[in-house]
Amino acid sequence: MASIVGALGIPHNPFTALGIARGDDAVAESRQLYGELERQLDAMAADTLVVFTTDHYNLFFELSVPIFAIGTAQRSSGPSDYPMLPQFEVAIDSELATDIQAAVVAEDFDLGRSQEFELDHTILAPLGVIAPAMERSIVPIWISASMRPIPSAARCHALGAAVARAIAASELERRVVVAGSGAFSFEVGGPRMSEESHVGVPAPDWAIRVSELLASGDIAQLVAESTPDQITEAGNAAGEILNWIAMLGCFDARPASFVQAQRAEGHAYAAWQLP
Amino acid sequence: MSLYAVDKVCRRVVIDPAFAAALREDPQGALKAASPPLRDRERELLLAGDVGALGRMGANFFLLHQLGRMELFGLTLALYAERIRAEYAVERERWAQAQRGD
Repeated sequence: MASIVGALGIPHNPFTALGIARGDDAVAESRQLYGELERQLDAMAADTLVVFTTDHYNLFFELSVPIFAIGTAQRSSGPSDYPMLPQFEVAIDSELATDIQAAVVAEDFDLGRSQEFELDHTILAPLGVIAPAMERSIVPIWISASMRPIPSAARCHALGAAVARAIAASELERRVVVAGSGAFSFEVGGPRMSEESHVGVPAPDWAIRVSELLASGDIAQLVAESTPDQITEAGNAAGEILNWIAMLGCFDARPASFVQAQRAEGHAYAAWQLP
Repeated sequence: MSLYAVDKVCRRVVIDPAFAAALREDPQGALKAASPPLRDRERELLLAGDVGALGRMGANFFLLHQLGRMELFGLTLALYAERIRAEYAVERERWAQAQRGD
């Protein structure tokens, strides 16, 4: 039987991954934090990573955007959107993905299926740092957290719970780690950018607040505070917190085994050793 | 309102090298041939690199900034950012005041 053995919260800034690949001193702290996630992930001895993420207009663009979708191909590659990053061929756990989709749709979640896709930096930039051997298979679950309207935090948390039930019901022998990818406050190219760059962190205190709730395990409060207004004020990429909230829905609320915020980056690194 | 045709141009400059090359060679012609068709005003603003106005009209910033990243229509990422900041100067001041607790 499949079981969830751990969870990760992972930032995915592609320029951080690029700096790490180049050995830049400027990303030393991020390298160390990714290193901690690598140790946590290794301790989980997982076969498959189920990663909740948000398409950055690379796969679905604006053409036909599912609120929730899962990838069931056999293999994939990427990062498709940053050719300067290390490139990977990866196995997709098609069997588990198919089980998850069937079970979750049976629970009335409209989880679309994609059978041919490349993965973008939101998955493969961080995994290229913490698991570059790509020995574990991946199941991508996309949450439409950029283009409005976005789903509610409560709905995403419930999706995570349904995914967890689907994993528990699968007869496949799998040790599964669930992961949420993204930031809590981030603006890309929009009016809330910083004075120095085309990106920015409009709500660094929100990133700290989220990290505190992760540390205390008060996930119900996090869901309650992740309102549409809060997400809008935190930047046009701040909906990525919904990926974390879906991940958090996969297990009973508890304090993180490890959590470290980077206020100036608007995100955190976190891990939960389960059960 | 949605500026889907503009967003699609911004998407194609990243994934379609031939289109990006055509925009450098003959920007007016490449934009006239774009599908779905751009409105005249959208085409004028793209050619002028007026990303501030396009953003104000509803273009997707996530995609729009690719014009600066790909250095099209006279833009760089720095110039892109400068024009967005200028367009939204009033809002940015209001947000800064709120953060300071003024």
